[in-house]
Amino acid sequence: MPLLEELKAQITRRLPELDLVIGWGQGYDPLHHTPVFIKTEADLDKLVFDPLCVHNLSTYLTRYVHGKKLGVVVKGCDSRSVVELLQEKLIKREDVVVFGLPCEGVADLGKIKRALAEQDLDIGRVRTVSFEKGSLALTVAGKNVELPMSKVLADKCGRCKYHNAVIHDEFAGQPIEGQSQDAYEDVAAFEGQTLEERMEFWREQMERCVRCYACRNACPLCVCRDYCIAQSREPGWVSQRDGLEEKLFFQMIHATHLAGRCTECGECERACPVDIPLLLLKRKLNKEILDLFDYRAGTEPDVKPPLLSFKVKEENINERGW
Amino acid sequence: MAAKYLASEKLPAWLAELAASRVVLVPVKERDAVVFRPYSEGVKPVLDRQANVPPKASIFPASESLMSFKYIKNPEDLGQVAVEVHETVDAPPTVVFGGRPCDVRGFNIFDRVYDCPKVQDPYYKARRENTLFVTLACEDAENACFCHWVGSSPSDPVGSDVLLTPIQGGYLVEDVSKRGKALLSSKLLADGSKRSTEAKAVHKAALESLGEVWNPEKAPAKLLEKFDDMGFWEDVSAKCVSCGACTYLCPTCYCFNVTDERSGMKGERIRTWDNCMSYLFTLEASGHNPRPTKAHRLKNRVGHKFSYYPDIHEGIFACCGCGRCIKLCPVSVDIREIVRLAVERPTAKPEKS
Amino acid sequence: MDKELRIVGFLCNWCSYGGADTAGVGRFTQPTDLRIIRMPCSGRIDPLFVLKTLIGGADGVLVSGCHPRDCHYAEGNYYARRRLEVLKRFLPIIGIDQGRFEYTWVSASEGQRWQHVVTTFTNQIHALGPIQRIGKDAQARACAFGRTLEVDVSA
Repeated sequence: MPLLEELKAQITRRLPELDLVIGWGQGYDPLHHTPVFIKTEADLDKLVFDPLCVHNLSTYLTRYVHGKKLGVVVKGCDSRSVVELLQEKLIKREDVVVFGLPCEGVADLGKIKRALAEQDLDIGRVRTVSFEKGSLALTVAGKNVELPMSKVLADKCGRCKYHNAVIHDEFAGQPIEGQSQDAYEDVAAFEGQTLEERMEFWREQMERCVRCYACRNACPLCVCRDYCIAQSREPGWVSQRDGLEEKLFFQMIHATHLAGRCTECGECERACPVDIPLLLLKRKLNKEILDLFDYRAGTEPDVKPPLLSFKVKEENINERGW
Repeated sequence: MAAKYLASEKLPAWLAELAASRVVLVPVKERDAVVFRPYSEGVKPVLDRQANVPPKASIFPASESLMSFKYIKNPEDLGQVAVEVHETVDAPPTVVFGGRPCDVRGFNIFDRVYDCPKVQDPYYKARRENTLFVTLACEDAENACFCHWVGSSPSDPVGSDVLLTPIQGGYLVEDVSKRGKALLSSKLLADGSKRSTEAKAVHKAALESLGEVWNPEKAPAKLLEKFDDMGFWEDVSAKCVSCGACTYLCPTCYCFNVTDERSGMKGERIRTWDNCMSYLFTLEASGHNPRPTKAHRLKNRVGHKFSYYPDIHEGIFACCGCGRCIKLCPVSVDIREIVRLAVERPTAKPEKS
Repeated sequence: MDKELRIVGFLCNWCSYGGADTAGVGRFTQPTDLRIIRMPCSGRIDPLFVLKTLIGGADGVLVSGCHPRDCHYAEGNYYARRRLEVLKRFLPIIGIDQGRFEYTWVSASEGQRWQHVVTTFTNQIHALGPIQRIGKDAQARACAFGRTLEVDVSA
């Protein structure tokens, strides 16, 4: 049975015990998918699954009142957010049914945009999209374009260790073998620059920020939402000014609150309407946390996140003798 | 209306000429985003696509100082404190170059709010008066574009001072306003009167590329009718993550917040963009919030644009159809779909209490 | 020594604040760049306090608490140690030198140790010089869009 049919059959079977199931459907144009909320069997027709299913749908799990029974369709990376939410007891295991999928990677719309721009074509004018063995076929402004998937695959997919949902109640399709390595080379490369260059980089990026907070709101682990400290007047962590200090400091709030929790789904970066590479900040934190505590967020439901625990004698923290 | 012609290779020279006595804001590329930045030599304007962020901030900055203030203690009587206030109107002469008709039309929505018989906002007015718009007509519509729904078109000159239309080898340059006419005196512009037909063909093709028009004339009444149909609003807002990207990137969203930023005896009063997608937008001091959920808030956004605003402004929609709220939304919430559903779906009868 | 720099110290009330007091009572000579903020426990120190201070223009931040195993609240400094170590390693990504932030442990009786810590850290900050601020040319950059007046705090 094709994967999508199998998934639909599983949802059909579980739907009676659930209030709704969150999956992906077709969006406003062929390149954009959008979350769909399945309440009845008839809604199942809307369901799709292909490399354009970029959203991490677990972000919706904490938006419903406790006690609502939710189903959620997840790729490997998305499933880590579900695990992390469970680890932190932000959702209850019995309230959620996880429909896990194997995933070979999703497309990065930014990369598609660049690839099309190289041919003087605009991503906003794509008319049709289809996936054929290892490539993405598009028609734009009357032209047929074929882009190899390897060229448009999201960066996170190139270093993915978790192609299959790490937690699931149902699993559709065949698990994908193999893992990629992630040595945080991008972070190391960035840190090859001088401190002045790094700050100048953020200066340029933050200049563009419009403070819409899409990065925060798309994040499955930013659960404070309407009560975010960035918007409190007392204490006034961030003023209403739109200076670079305010904008950068907001990112510090987001990043530090995700220390040891971020599963690197990249939704912050994907949601940003002005293309600020925010995942880099979180990757840096994760790199250090892996190094210090040998921990990857959202991989083991029963483990306590490292910043919520301690050891009397830390193996990797040197006491500075001064 | 005079028609002039600007050859593509003369564009930098014209921009330099304009920038000699004013700030000229042009769309430029930063990573994958296009934003408006001051022009200087060597800056390459991006004119083949819509900017991610509209030039709204040129007249309505994301954050602006309204006044600075200072408390002065009377050394004779320390109980007495005087306040010194300086109004800070800052309106450098500016040209916004390369915005799209939809971007510029947004300010017509603003005008009815900030510069009307009842209210005259000095900050807004000063900048409006000092800012000219040299607008670029669109050649081809994007998938999220719908300016023709709201009474506009890809070559709509309303609100612009000069309209550019891309034609073979360069641009047809037409003045729209008196102030725009003055910009056309440049020696870099050649006579273009013979090429108007070429530009008209571009306008026509662009309009056709938008596809079928859907008329939202019933929306104001239908949206009001759905005001209490929370089931409808919960349904259409289910995927919304309630960030403010749609409002901050909207050329017609004009809401603001005013705060005092004080440090010791000095401070300033600033006005900043605010957005109705935020929980804090309507949070009252008592703790009560009349718009507690994203469904209430999205209802306000759609309702304001397609019902409440037109109701008091001669039927004009507070939407310019630029499509940014659709294409830059992290989860592709589509305002066209919501308005359409509001009109087409039957309204649920309110439950009897 | 060169011009005084701005260093902010977050000190735990039970140990390091007492240690600083001991150093003062003992009249140990110390550099004067440090401004102290008294905290209930090093575990109360949100890494954001440090980031806010550094991004806001301080040239250095020092956190000092009770020695491990000696926390007044039994385990506050154990949590602090993890958080602060992560924070220290995080700083370079935004262009701030790791050396601008240190955390250490000083007990209430260790007046001399406190003198040593403050002197060493102050020297370290002076070697690094004034901090670079992200907002330094914010005025010039934002020139086109709504200039906000910078309120001069130092005046």
